[in-house]
Amino acid sequence: MAKEGLGLEITELRLGLPGDNNGERLVCGSKKTKRVFSDMMTSSSLDTDGENSVVVSSVDIVAGEVADESSPVAKSQVVGWPPVCCYRRNKKNNKEASKAIGYVKVSMDGVPYLRKVDLGSSQGYNHLATVLENLFGCLGLGVALKEGEKFEYVIIYEDKDGDWMLVGDVPWQMFKESCKRLRIVKRSDATGFGLQRNSSFE
Amino acid sequence: MGWAFYNVPCSDTNTSLHPFSLAKGLVTSGRNTCTPYHSSTVKIPFVAILRTNLHQEMNYFPDEVIEHIFDSIASHRDRNSISLVSKSWHKIERCCRRRVFIGNCYAISPERLIGRFPCLKSLTLKGKPHFADFNLVPHEWGGFVHPWIDALARARVGLEELRLKRMVVSDESLELLSRSFANFKSLVLVSCEGFTTDGLASIAANCRHLRELDLQENEIDDHRGQWLNCFPDSCTTLTSLNFACLKGETNLSALERLVARSPSLKSLKVNRAVPLDALTRLMSCAPQLVDLGVGSYENEPDTESFAKLLAAIKKCTSLRSLSGFSEVAPLCLTAFYPICQNLTYLNLSYAAEIHGNHLVKFIQFCKRLQRLWILDSIGDKGLEVVASACKELQELRVFPSDLHDEEDNNAAVTEVGLVAISAGCRKLHSILYFCKQMTNAALITVAKNCPNFIRFRLCILEPNKPDHVTSQSLDEGFGAVVQACKGLRRLSVSGLLTDKVFLYIGMYAEQLEMLSIAFAGDTDKGMLYVLNGCKKLRKLEIRDSPFGNAALLADVDKYETMRSLWMSSCDVTLGGCKRLARDAPWLNVEIINENEDNGMERNEEDEREKVDRLYLYRTVVGTRNDAPSCVTIL
Repeated sequence: MAKEGLGLEITELRLGLPGDNNGERLVCGSKKTKRVFSDMMTSSSLDTDGENSVVVSSVDIVAGEVADESSPVAKSQVVGWPPVCCYRRNKKNNKEASKAIGYVKVSMDGVPYLRKVDLGSSQGYNHLATVLENLFGCLGLGVALKEGEKFEYVIIYEDKDGDWMLVGDVPWQMFKESCKRLRIVKRSDATGFGLQRNSSFE
Repeated sequence: MGWAFYNVPCSDTNTSLHPFSLAKGLVTSGRNTCTPYHSSTVKIPFVAILRTNLHQEMNYFPDEVIEHIFDSIASHRDRNSISLVSKSWHKIERCCRRRVFIGNCYAISPERLIGRFPCLKSLTLKGKPHFADFNLVPHEWGGFVHPWIDALARARVGLEELRLKRMVVSDESLELLSRSFANFKSLVLVSCEGFTTDGLASIAANCRHLRELDLQENEIDDHRGQWLNCFPDSCTTLTSLNFACLKGETNLSALERLVARSPSLKSLKVNRAVPLDALTRLMSCAPQLVDLGVGSYENEPDTESFAKLLAAIKKCTSLRSLSGFSEVAPLCLTAFYPICQNLTYLNLSYAAEIHGNHLVKFIQFCKRLQRLWILDSIGDKGLEVVASACKELQELRVFPSDLHDEEDNNAAVTEVGLVAISAGCRKLHSILYFCKQMTNAALITVAKNCPNFIRFRLCILEPNKPDHVTSQSLDEGFGAVVQACKGLRRLSVSGLLTDKVFLYIGMYAEQLEMLSIAFAGDTDKGMLYVLNGCKKLRKLEIRDSPFGNAALLADVDKYETMRSLWMSSCDVTLGGCKRLARDAPWLNVEIINENEDNGMERNEEDEREKVDRLYLYRTVVGTRNDAPSCVTIL
């Protein structure tokens, strides 16, 4: 893949140390479209001769090494590659995001099936309560959230640390991010969970 | 009114014997000439003179007759050719032209368009360059539709149809559109952005004769409003409604009422928010549907819901086209078994949840399938099933399900699947194939099996990847494709490629109109082979390839025959681009900088600096005045 007689253009991959007073700059193809394919970078930097000698700066060496060692990661950082249109990409990302954050399983004591609710598109505790009521046909869950002490059921959730917490204690956003799954349990059974109350938000 | 045998110049031996095709025969002989080349005998009425200056004979006809003849000619290129035959034909043609296609909205101005075609009814406009799809063009680059709608409105053009691709559309534009054209019937927006559901509400409310509202892959801000409610009760003319790309909730009852009062509805594509039971009701009141886009339903349906869906589907005997299925339990696909043998188009490329056996089992019953869009999770084995089952297949698109090319993705497709498809589906003419690996041998076999390719787009996920068996470049494989596929119009290449592949392309790809190059080639020669060889080239887009000023400047006149050239992360410099802009004032040469600061502080003298992104295009209206600061027009 030898480059032929392009004259000065080929040497535009000349690299100098920052602050070089010849005015030569680190012009390395495209700064944002990482050319992480080490063949391209190292071979082109070796092709120059004469007055435009290449100073392979430490920056370049590091870049080259990074390209070699972490190719799978680097590949995914090339802007716009693979050429999948952004609508399709975003749809895929959103789906993955919603899988990661939004949808959590909900079980209710005495009910033999699991449901899922999308926390990602849910707008708050009230909305969540309504959704849960609809899912399980169990009115009053909204009350359970608000009034706590009086209702037959409590809603609890397992957070990222594996602890079971009472739903409604922490700000909604924080709850959304840490909730892994939900359970609707009878108040009498709830004490067995060793519920952690987050006192700073009471 | 006698018949006569008349020697008519015809561009091909397939000219029909319909008398009106004589005009077509005259003009399809080329873009800029009407030189007859070979002739065949056509039986026509009216004329009994054996001479070949047909257009002069035709001038004895009244204008209305000539217009009537022109009306039967639909192709844009043929119409363009007609208008070049003579002044009188130019005049007649422009006054009766109904449909205009503008491939680059900056090539001409709305005022000039309207001046030439005052009787315009249908306008198609394209804005941003293709690579905008891959985030290589800044959002604010341009492609605004508002000036067009404004000009059309002020000139009182009787616009009925507007089709836009990669343009920026605002709610104000949509509002203006909805109020300005009393007979507006059809709005098709593809890959556009800048508007919200409020804009859709204006269209729904004000376009009394709306037939088609087709939103494909747009970025729409969903205000979760009631735009569907804005269709008045008197609106019963809808034939096509596609809002699959909307992200928010949908007013289901409004939708159901709208569908129920639209007996002509043939195409319905709903978004994620339309759940299974609603879909069942929709299909029940629209059994005449031909084209259905399904929403999503997270859970497996219970027996009763499934039975109802199945019953509704069974009634849709006209259904030919199925898409959607984002987030769908695999079982739901089986509900479509009753009609799957009627399907001609199946798009499961968003259905990441459906794979393996479910997918293959379904597809193998789709014996009449002509177009298939799927994810690579189908695997080579799945493609082998497609090859044996879908003998009518003409177009195949296989998209990557894993964009980060993780090492342990075994489900992706390879050259094996591609070869199997080419062997089994002999009618295949269009392919888009994302794969992990490829070999020259496979490409050579594919070329031999399917010499009828019109579009061949191969994307090997890892750039610069060689033939995985021989470790050589893929020059020979792609060379075989261009040599065998004489009708090839669109080509995208990938993998390890040297200048040689471009030599082949320049030599053999005589009909090539669009070429996409990434991470390929060695020297300027590569690009030069293409520019010199491909006479019909219209769009050339190149990224991350070592082509520089020598190639860019070698034949400046070539760009007049092309719509546009895109080069990003190549070796062209500011100096080269400036020289080009000087030598070719009829081109807009745009430099897109990484960010605004670079543009402002750019050292005017440093012409050796490489250009991030270059986009140039021919235009008759000079520099545009809506470019953002990150774009420098030379």
